[in-house]
Amino acid sequence: MSKSETELWAALQADVDGLTGPGITPETPLETLPQWDSLAILLVITHFEYVHGRVLSGNKIRACKIGRELLQLIPR
Amino acid sequence: MFSSLSNIRIAGVAVSTGSVTRDFIADGLALDLARTQLERISQTVGLKERKVTAPGITALDLCEDAARRLLDEMGIDASAIDAVIFVTQTPDHSQPNNSSLLHGRLGLCKSTAAFDLAMGCSGWVYGLHQAALLCAHGGAARVLLCAGDTLSRLTNPLDRATDPLFGDAGSAALIEKTGHAPAMHFNLEADGSGAKSICVPAGGARLPATPLTKQEIKDAEGNIHHAENLQMNGSDVFNFTLREVPGSVASVLKMAGWTPMQADALILHQANRFMVSTIGKKCGFAPEKTPMDSVEKFGNQSSASIPCTLIHALGAPLQEKTLKVVACGYGVGLSWGSVALELGPLVVAPLQSFPKL
Repeated sequence: MSKSETELWAALQADVDGLTGPGITPETPLETLPQWDSLAILLVITHFEYVHGRVLSGNKIRACKIGRELLQLIPR
Repeated sequence: MFSSLSNIRIAGVAVSTGSVTRDFIADGLALDLARTQLERISQTVGLKERKVTAPGITALDLCEDAARRLLDEMGIDASAIDAVIFVTQTPDHSQPNNSSLLHGRLGLCKSTAAFDLAMGCSGWVYGLHQAALLCAHGGAARVLLCAGDTLSRLTNPLDRATDPLFGDAGSAALIEKTGHAPAMHFNLEADGSGAKSICVPAGGARLPATPLTKQEIKDAEGNIHHAENLQMNGSDVFNFTLREVPGSVASVLKMAGWTPMQADALILHQANRFMVSTIGKKCGFAPEKTPMDSVEKFGNQSSASIPCTLIHALGAPLQEKTLKVVACGYGVGLSWGSVALELGPLVVAPLQSFPKL
């Protein structure tokens, strides 16, 4: 994981409690996270809107299998 | 649609809420949900308490109580009302409409017009526009605007995406023609392509209620509902509000010639605290100018949430002075509407439940 990805992941985790916890990395399958739920989806939407200026649909977020796929939605 | 209407004022407002208090944590524990998860949602989204109606009480009853208390408080006889508008999506019957029933209950004159607007969370702003139009161009001197719903009746107790959100309430506001009021500036918009995002699929003419439409299903997130229940795609609705509401609010601010700093308050439809906080920030309003407490006490009250928040957050100052207020309702349709207006001094009837406890 590059440094920029590390920072992006940390920023996402800071806003989305469902992505935090011991040992959770961008490779962790999202479906295994106990708090990866509809609230976490709303928090991801808010993070992308405020930090990256991108409006994401819930379906697009739900289609992501791991955290890295969420990071790949960040506009470059 | 943009519209500016002058020489009209809101003379008074009243809200009656449901009388039964539901507690988010207690309700969740009763369904065997984990306390830590419930507390996480409660803290993040702002779900705490809500007021729902007792059995047998409808939006018509709540609005009638609000209307009677408002007219009493203002010392206005029902015969002085030229039109009654009832905004609701939970009418007593498919026919006749609630405005006609309220017309009869209040003993209004035959010369008093009565009609319903079938709208939800944006409905108070749409209704205010209709009332203002009647005063500005329709020959009415006083219009009674009632707006309310009992959405708690439409949700499935096992659907955690909708059931914990909604409270029940009915509001009444008296809109008057006057010789010297600054313009109210409206922007009313809609996007029917998103209609399925908030929907009660069955029970209307397209899909009448049958035993089949009462069969419960479990969705991908484990929530249980049937086709006669209110169903909502939370992330779609959240995206819609983030996309549309800030521009709508900005447009009426521009029409009024105000900045967010110059306005005294932004009254957003109280969907939930998280949404109000997020949208208020995106609209450029300071948190102290964006009331968001009423949803934690009363729940999402559909079309009654804006008048309830006006009373709950600004009731005292509005009785004394004029405030520059921007209000925005958004929801089912999808539809949304904003208004910028100078509000007050006006009569504010005390916020209370029906039946009164």
